[in-house]
Amino acid sequence: MSAAPGEIRIGAELVSPPYLLDAAAAKAYIEGIEEPPRRRPRGNIHDDNDAARKAGFAAPIAAGEQTIAIVAQFLADRFGMRFMRGGRIEVSLTKPVFYGDTLTSRAKIVSLDADRAGLEIQVDNQRGEQVLTGIAALRLSAA
Amino acid sequence: MSEDTRLPMCAENLHEGMRLGPIYYLVTAEQARAFADAVKAASPDFIPGAHNPEAIVSPTMRLQDYALLIAAHLKGGKGGVHAKHWCEFHEPMRVGQAVKSEGKITATYRKRSKFYFTLEYESRDAATGRLLVRQAITSVLLNEKGEMR
Repeated sequence: MSAAPGEIRIGAELVSPPYLLDAAAAKAYIEGIEEPPRRRPRGNIHDDNDAARKAGFAAPIAAGEQTIAIVAQFLADRFGMRFMRGGRIEVSLTKPVFYGDTLTSRAKIVSLDADRAGLEIQVDNQRGEQVLTGIAALRLSAA
Repeated sequence: MSEDTRLPMCAENLHEGMRLGPIYYLVTAEQARAFADAVKAASPDFIPGAHNPEAIVSPTMRLQDYALLIAAHLKGGKGGVHAKHWCEFHEPMRVGQAVKSEGKITATYRKRSKFYFTLEYESRDAATGRLLVRQAITSVLLNEKGEMR
């Protein structure tokens, strides 16, 4: 599954399969993390229309962590230990993700040196809007 | 029952230099499997099983440690909106590993009337001290009315 070194070249672009972030996907994500008891007050921006509107959103929004998790897993699947041991991401969550949105992760290799590859990364929704943008790095040297 | 001495989660109680944690936990196969399913991990390396009992876990499975660190010291609040995040992956976590996580508030500021804070935190093998992940979350704190200001 990991990219061979020959595939890591400047300009290479990678695109993930689409990820439907609906209520079922959000529930699965919650079941895969450990949250403190009562972390989320009842009626919060993730599950309540009024709370979401007070915070400035049109509807309840998905947790930003889930979008980060999706792009990080995409890179981990694609690059394996080059990412998991010495890799890095730095991202901004630029637009809310609403339940039912379909997300696609994209990565483009923009720099290479002896030890590291630099990538531009983003996650788009089905309307072509960027919901996450940032950079990532991979280790190129042997583990 | 002991008294809850945690401070309320609000801008006034978040200060640069404030240390949070440590917390300790064991990385379980159940969580690793559930998280890998949730993020639709494609590589079998992330799926624990009889053939892979010490599977590596998805890179951000413990990103949520920031919430546990906060909850260990602060209570209540209306939550926040995740704005930025960075992660450095030094060594993958593995199923069965005991982990220690701790953090520190490294920035608090107001921008366009919103209150932001940054929490840097790191996770280490609890037995050896080896660094696994270092990361930071920047979040907009919702006020007591649930608004971003």
